[in-house]
Amino acid sequence: MMHLLAQANPPAPMHAVTLGHYLFVSAAMFAIGLIGFVSRRNLIIMFLCTELMFQAAGIALIAFSRFHLNHTGETFVIFVLTVAAAEAAMALALVVLLFRRRESLSGEEWASMKG
Amino acid sequence: MILGAASIAEKIPFLWPEIAAFLATCVVMVVGLSPNLGTRRLCAPIAGLGLVAAGVLAAFTTPEGTGPLPFLMPFAKVVLCGVGLVLLLLASGVVDRDEEAVIAAGKATFNPLRTNRAEFYAFFLFSLTGLMLCASADDLIWLFLALELTSLPTYIMVTMSRTGRDGARSCEAGVKYFFLGALGAAMFLYGFALLYGGTGTTSLRGIERAFVSQSGSGGINSIAMVGMLLSIVGVGFKIAAVPMHLYTPDVYEGSASPVAAFLAFVPKTAGFLAIILLVSTMGWTFARDGSAAGGHSLPQLVLLTLWVMAALTMTVGNVLALLQKSVRRILAYSSIAHSGYMLVGVIAGPGDGTSITRNGIAAVLFYLLCYGLMNVGAFAVLACLDRKAGDDSPELETVDDLRGLCSSHPVLGWTMVVCALGLMGFPPLLGFFAKVPLFTSAIAAGEIPLVIVLGLNSAIAAFYYLQLVAAPMLEAPDTTVRTEPTGHAARPMAALISAASVVGVAVASGPLMEAGAKAGGKPVAKKPAEQPKRPPSGPSGH
Amino acid sequence: MLSGILNSLAALMPAAEAGGDLLHPPKGAMLMLAVPVLTLVGVLACTICAVARVRTKLPAWISVACLAGAFGCVLATFLGYEGPRHAVGFEWIHLQWGGETPRGGGQVPIRALHANFGLYVDTLTLLWMLFVTGLATLIALYASEYMAGDVRTAGYSRFFVAFNLFVFSMSCLVMADNLLLLYLGWEGVGLCSYLLIGYFYKKPSAVAAAKKAFIVNRIGDLGLALGIMLIFVKFGTVEYATLLADSKFQGFLAAATAGDFASIPWDIQLIPALLMIGAFGKSAQFPLYVWLPDAMEGPTPVSALIHAATMVTAGVFLIARTFWVFQVSEYALPIVAWIGAITALLAATIGMAQFDIKRIMAYSTVSQLGYMFAGLGVMTSVGAAFHVFTHAFFKALLFLACGAVMHGFAGQLDLRKLSGVQKMPGWRIVGVTMLVGCLNLAGFPLLAGFWSKDMILAQAFAEPGYSAVGWVLLLTAGLTAYYTFRVYFRVFVGPQHFEPGDEVHGHDDAHGHGDHGHAHAEPAHDGHGHGDHAGHAHGSGGGQHGFHPHPPGWAINLVLVVLAIGAFAIIPLNFIGEHAGHGGWAADMVHHSTAGPLPAGAGHAAEGHGGGHAEHGTFLGMDPHKVMYYVSGVVGIVGIGIAFVLHLAGRTEAARSRADGLLPALGPIPGWAQHKWYVDEFYDFLIRTPLWVAAHLFHLVDKLIVDGLVNLFGFIPRALGKAIRPSQSGVLHGYALAMAGGVAFLLLIVLMAAL
Repeated sequence: MMHLLAQANPPAPMHAVTLGHYLFVSAAMFAIGLIGFVSRRNLIIMFLCTELMFQAAGIALIAFSRFHLNHTGETFVIFVLTVAAAEAAMALALVVLLFRRRESLSGEEWASMKG
Repeated sequence: MILGAASIAEKIPFLWPEIAAFLATCVVMVVGLSPNLGTRRLCAPIAGLGLVAAGVLAAFTTPEGTGPLPFLMPFAKVVLCGVGLVLLLLASGVVDRDEEAVIAAGKATFNPLRTNRAEFYAFFLFSLTGLMLCASADDLIWLFLALELTSLPTYIMVTMSRTGRDGARSCEAGVKYFFLGALGAAMFLYGFALLYGGTGTTSLRGIERAFVSQSGSGGINSIAMVGMLLSIVGVGFKIAAVPMHLYTPDVYEGSASPVAAFLAFVPKTAGFLAIILLVSTMGWTFARDGSAAGGHSLPQLVLLTLWVMAALTMTVGNVLALLQKSVRRILAYSSIAHSGYMLVGVIAGPGDGTSITRNGIAAVLFYLLCYGLMNVGAFAVLACLDRKAGDDSPELETVDDLRGLCSSHPVLGWTMVVCALGLMGFPPLLGFFAKVPLFTSAIAAGEIPLVIVLGLNSAIAAFYYLQLVAAPMLEAPDTTVRTEPTGHAARPMAALISAASVVGVAVASGPLMEAGAKAGGKPVAKKPAEQPKRPPSGPSGH
Repeated sequence: MLSGILNSLAALMPAAEAGGDLLHPPKGAMLMLAVPVLTLVGVLACTICAVARVRTKLPAWISVACLAGAFGCVLATFLGYEGPRHAVGFEWIHLQWGGETPRGGGQVPIRALHANFGLYVDTLTLLWMLFVTGLATLIALYASEYMAGDVRTAGYSRFFVAFNLFVFSMSCLVMADNLLLLYLGWEGVGLCSYLLIGYFYKKPSAVAAAKKAFIVNRIGDLGLALGIMLIFVKFGTVEYATLLADSKFQGFLAAATAGDFASIPWDIQLIPALLMIGAFGKSAQFPLYVWLPDAMEGPTPVSALIHAATMVTAGVFLIARTFWVFQVSEYALPIVAWIGAITALLAATIGMAQFDIKRIMAYSTVSQLGYMFAGLGVMTSVGAAFHVFTHAFFKALLFLACGAVMHGFAGQLDLRKLSGVQKMPGWRIVGVTMLVGCLNLAGFPLLAGFWSKDMILAQAFAEPGYSAVGWVLLLTAGLTAYYTFRVYFRVFVGPQHFEPGDEVHGHDDAHGHGDHGHAHAEPAHDGHGHGDHAGHAHGSGGGQHGFHPHPPGWAINLVLVVLAIGAFAIIPLNFIGEHAGHGGWAADMVHHSTAGPLPAGAGHAAEGHGGGHAEHGTFLGMDPHKVMYYVSGVVGIVGIGIAFVLHLAGRTEAARSRADGLLPALGPIPGWAQHKWYVDEFYDFLIRTPLWVAAHLFHLVDKLIVDGLVNLFGFIPRALGKAIRPSQSGVLHGYALAMAGGVAFLLLIVLMAAL
């Protein structure tokens, strides 16, 4: 993937971990989150999967930040974490509410409206 | 790249409306916790005042922006404050109805943990603040935060909008909306990250410059391109575009009508503003050299993505709306279809940046206003009536429930007729004036196949909108379903205002279109003279 | 529109000054501009009356005042006339296009369409305007009494709004300085005619007649519109002055004068043919005359003003105004002559067999219009215009007299049910004035109608090749005298007898009320047995329904007397001026206008007028201009004599006359004539039946094929919707999967497309 970024100045030594590695980890995390979101039924697990996807973006941002030698990406990550925290609070509240109604945490419980 | 004090100070003049709305939010949060019912009821008026203040500030204090669409902010903010006020009228009585009934009966005393008026109106304002911030955004971080600020409150508003037996439906709506929303947010966040990676900056102007230099030297960076596509598709969740549209009907059906109306306008507007801002970095040329008569210079990939999204969105929305019995599902699917129409304007691009008939962006901005008004009107009719002897839900549900509304509740019936005709794009009404610029700008941009798809879809849409016209107007009232007003005087007022706007704004559409054209227009020619005064560095300077 | 008028008022003064430099100083042009303005004021004032629910005769007095003012303006202009004038009210239409340079090089020529609200005032205009505004004033006065039964309803104001609007439109038509403004007036008079024929809109026959008039006129209007467009396409202008001065047009005129019609392109020769169709429609010429007799469903003042005196002469005016255009075609004027002659004869024969006196007058109008067209066709636009002028007087007089009878006898118009009216108390004036009108129409020697008819007849024989037209017209003159006096002898003299019509209160107001149940369009029932009349000997008519004939009041009598005097007063006009004895004053008026000798290309066009005798046909070897007086006088008197013998001499009862004895000898012919030669039925068969069949055929196609397509179009989206509906499963994971899959798919497609 490095050739895609050929116009940027690569700061890393040859043998060290490169941007490509970070991006691979990030993409893998995103994919795992996505697959988990689709395949798991438990609402809490599903929410954690979205967290995984958020953090995948965070890793990419930090890697790019390092790559571009500026701090924008890192700043971005801080805000992303904040938003993720807010979402987590909402998710937990929602899960509690839902559990009280159906005594279950399965996402499939909630399918009365369709078509 | 830390926001310096100077650059923050530079931003303040743009943010007075948001600051006003935020202050109103804080007051509402405090006031809404008062044990005194009278004081708690001040929440809505205070929120309204905040919106009025924000609108006035937006109209008079907002300076010319520095982005590619320098006049976008005042128009967008005034429009959304206006529609927000109508939504606020409509939202009266959504929360605390059961709670207050119990307290009034003396069966319980006020419990700040069980009342949620403060939260509801605060979220309402937060969401609108986020929407205004979207219009002000000149940075990806800002845009991300603004989008999330718009969306997060709506998740809660949906979930809390109905109580009691209906609560199950609003919970279902909430869970679908929240989880899918988080998925969508993750997607465009990842897109933003890649966009940053491909260009090295999050400033929209910086990204634009990077794209210009990249296309000068062998094409746009692939990472940035993937990021852009992912961002557009992810933001597509907010506007309910295919393939992110699936939540729409269920969420609209599950939430109370005022909230559904809110969802159809606020997140959608935020999404469109975001998409316009994102796409604008890809180098629309307002025919800067003055030679070519407008046209777009979007990269083929982005254009193709938008094209497929637009065509699929309107088609899917319309054909599924045909099969519906529930009015709210019809409106939800039509909301999807309307997003598809508006994407056509985005594809058409700003043309030569002058008249609205050739400027797709201006057409979209004007359409957002018109759609917001018409849609609020339609939902308001549903919100105004309760079924007296309902088996499952007190709110009006099916098209049959609307039968004979023009004779039983003339104001509401005719509002539905006018709004449905308007949404259909019936000539003397608002929807028509909104749709014409979309057509003309797309034709001017040479998107003839898309215009044909748009025309066919408008024809399909007539099928189901005419149901909504015929049921109240032509059919006899259904005697088995007794309906009665909900007793919230503000709701019929919202309906009336919307209906009046659908007719009245059409008359005044000339100046509004001009305002839209200005908002979607290019920096005016006096720019060079002012250039020295306004240094090009944004807040995220390098 | 209102602001436009105000603007024009504001701009009136300087515009009139500026526009007057055409030929002469614009003295008096202001006055002519006041005519449309005054009539519009009338329209507005009457509209206000209608809105304000005025239930008095106020609208009538306003109308009379406005119209009298307009007449005064015209008269003042006429008295101070010094030469053709041109006055521009305001710039009405100004379009310009072309001029750009196309990609292939060269330049698209700039073309412009100018049409000002401008008046061209020459003697022809004045001639027409004099009788239009004069008669309109008188008839408005008449109508104030005639329509009195409707004072209590909104109809009274409505009537006068349309009446004023008609005069406005007519003044636009006549005074226009360009064909577009003429067309505006042309459509305007058509509209007013429609509105006024359908005045009794609750009566189905009136509505049908109004529709018929409008639709038949549309056919003509289409011709006129096409003609105007063709003129614009060919010459780039619609203004008379510019067109006449156009060098190309002058070339064609010169060629036509030299008889070299082969050098004139066919599309130029088509122009007069198209204009002619317009004229035939508006002036009720064969084959488009069928609307005019039915138009008698309107109130009688309307019949008198619009359908006898003024509007129907618009076709004559059009041809007179554009006479030079007609000369560039080899066949246009001969066609006009022959159509005129055929119409004259056909209408006269139908008129002979009718029993409804108003309808007889309608057919006589058609017949006389035929005369005028024949006159135009045989190159005597003077004769045509003179006949228009005299005809306007006596025909209005006849209609108003008939209207007075109708008004007084509860809508009775059947000449078999009325007799000896003149001797009844209060009816003397009507009877005498009716006699004056009849003598004029019959061409009794030395009366106005005689001189004008004689000019046309003489010219028809004088013009080489048209003697057949002359013979047809001469025969028609005899028939006209016969049927005119058939009416007079049966209705006004002879034994006194009447049966009232079925309009209960003896007023026209009964018309408007739908509660009458049945339509009483035809008070005269053709097949009605006459035996039951026996009981109503003279004077006994009052007993049956307590009905008393209702003699006309002062307004009606005054108008009738003024018109009768006018019919005499115009006789001397024939003997003054340069053309004394050959149209006299009217001839001068026409000669000095566009219908007269051509200003530049003076050629054979000039020769026909007023008896320039370059080359002469003969009447049985005699000079027609010298003998026709005697011939036509004798023919007229013979016609009257026959009518006397058949319808008055020895007649003892109203319903029968000696003419009935002749009917068996004539076989079925009178029946055919009474059924108007079945022309309406023929049109029905020729046009309506095929249209009906085609409509049902198309309906079938629509139902089977088009609806099928529409249903298919409706079916496809539904099917599509059903196909993708399962995606809305309602399950969170399904949605997530679809979203993820959709995004992946989209990105995949896009990336594939990129690679």
